Amino acid sequence: MKILIADDTPINVKQLEVMTVKLGHRPVVAFDGASAVAAFQTEKPDLVFMDIMMPGMDGITAVQQIRALPTDRWTPIIFYSALDRMQDIVSGLEAGGDDYLAKPASTQLLKAKINSYARQIALQSKMHLYAEELARWREDAEEQTRLGAHVMSRLTDAAGLRDQMVRSFNLPAETFSGDLLCAARAPGDVLNLLLADAAGHGLAAALSAMPLTQAFYSMTAKGFPLTSIAEELNRKLKAILPADRFVAATLAAVDVRNQTVEVWNGGNPDALFVNSKGDVVMRWSSRHPPLGILPAVLFSGVTETVVFQEPGDLVMSSDGLTEAENRAGEWLGIDGVIKLLSTLDNSEARFQHLQDGVTAHLQGLPGRDDISCLMATVPINRRRQFRFAAPQMINQSQFAEWRLDVSYNAQELRYIDVVPAVLGLVTQVHALREHQGALFLVLSELFNNSLDHGLLGLDSMTKTWIGGFEIYMQQRADRLAKLDHGRVELSFLLHQDESRAVLDITLSDSGPGFDYQNRLQDSTCLSESNEQTFGRGIALVKSLCDQIVYSGIGNKVWCRYVVSDLVQDK
Amino acid sequence: MQISSEVTNGKATLKLNGRFDFHSHRDFRTAYEEIIETAGVREVIINFSNVDYLDSSALGMLLLLREKAEAAGKSVSLTGLQGMVKQVLEIANFGKLFSVNG
Repeated sequence: MKILIADDTPINVKQLEVMTVKLGHRPVVAFDGASAVAAFQTEKPDLVFMDIMMPGMDGITAVQQIRALPTDRWTPIIFYSALDRMQDIVSGLEAGGDDYLAKPASTQLLKAKINSYARQIALQSKMHLYAEELARWREDAEEQTRLGAHVMSRLTDAAGLRDQMVRSFNLPAETFSGDLLCAARAPGDVLNLLLADAAGHGLAAALSAMPLTQAFYSMTAKGFPLTSIAEELNRKLKAILPADRFVAATLAAVDVRNQTVEVWNGGNPDALFVNSKGDVVMRWSSRHPPLGILPAVLFSGVTETVVFQEPGDLVMSSDGLTEAENRAGEWLGIDGVIKLLSTLDNSEARFQHLQDGVTAHLQGLPGRDDISCLMATVPINRRRQFRFAAPQMINQSQFAEWRLDVSYNAQELRYIDVVPAVLGLVTQVHALREHQGALFLVLSELFNNSLDHGLLGLDSMTKTWIGGFEIYMQQRADRLAKLDHGRVELSFLLHQDESRAVLDITLSDSGPGFDYQNRLQDSTCLSESNEQTFGRGIALVKSLCDQIVYSGIGNKVWCRYVVSDLVQDK
Repeated sequence: MQISSEVTNGKATLKLNGRFDFHSHRDFRTAYEEIIETAGVREVIINFSNVDYLDSSALGMLLLLREKAEAAGKSVSLTGLQGMVKQVLEIANFGKLFSVNG
């Protein structure tokens, strides 16, 4: 501890100096008021002994000046003066002194005073240190929050959420939302949606949900089915998160062409399908534990697929919405959500009504949890309007033949997602990359025909019954799990056909085939307006391809897809 | 949250009272760690009949307990589920992770 001694009498200075050194502190001496002020600034003492009567500036003025200096800590000042009238003591304390000792004071008293102030100063500097540390922490935290918010907003700002079919809101309880919303189109125009709610809220929760985005987007872009996406998301989180962290999630795939909505819900409130009258016509309750809890062998990616017969809105939300509390502590509840959605207006008004309704329910209180909602407006539109990019011209000299033959047996068919796997190989060829969407549709139709009818023996007519689609999907899953023999072969040949680049796709299966001559002659079943489930797929393939030819017993199909016109090099 | 614990015939019951949320972390851990270290206990029963609130960090604590108990060769079951507690556990499908007795 450094002690400033301001006194013009050498004997007094000596007494204090000796004492200071004896107690293990360092003395600094000033012989008048002005030099005391100067020494205070340069030496930054921890404690000051101040005489009052000194030549030039007196002690009272010196203390007033010292106290006027800017400072971030408290330095106790003890007046040590021969003046001992009450008036002197009061004016000393009023000037900014902390204590007053009348001269001469006993060595014992001085020693006790110094020790007492030493304790207070030690305590003060400790607190000062804590305060500084706290301020640094706060600054760091604010900086991290700022950076985190920036990165999060970039990572979660999915272009897919600006899809004209999609509306969403995400109201965080803190700076960060632990709720994550994603939307993206799969090849073939299926709209995939994800609403994930990580346990807790704030940065830790936001961090837990982050690994989901990349896997969701890349698997969606490659055309993986929802079940495989759910399995992968779970596997990823299980590997990354500690045992007490998990992420509730709703995954949905909206297929306007086939008029189906497929949902996987693990730990979120019911996903709802609301028709244009505002009635909830379908509900998908949570059927699974949240993501990141179960090991892969116990995890189930089983989804529920429903055929919709009328347009409407698919609404997914986090429990922050249903558990939004008003001042009386009442939850909005799933019934409250349904009531808000029952407005007869259009989708946009309905969505706004829900958002306003939650805000009103909260009555100005902050949400206890992140509140988010994702809504997809689903039209009835059987007309297939695929907006594929116009293919680029290919220079003839750069064009070379390319060939791929793959074959899958029953064992592999049970667990491999063949279409995305093969499409991944095919679209590595530059000339074919921009055709990913159309090729996905062609390949899906051809492959699903081979697998469903050729190997699994499923009957398309089942789908025409009421509730038949669900039965069909169930049969498909059951039979696929038990499939023990059979084979599907696919071959691709990219080559030149006169002035065009074409991709020939051949698909054959080991099944019994079908009576294509009679079935395909019925021209109505291949028309664009065909309302039957059968033949719509083949009609689609026909519309996308130049030619389609069945052969053999109907277990082999060949089609030619036009990739591009070839141009002569200049 | 208050926790009372009772061990009879190799079954340990933790009876929870009040709000089970992230503030309960230390109390809950202290309570179950003691039980898990007790050699004769084969089953840990968590009684929720006096719990009026349960948040997602409470679900996380149950998962931690489950992991620790399984490692020690003990089973965990949940009982006394009612009202909001039952609803939250149902939505999270914790019935697939724990045995649930009413």
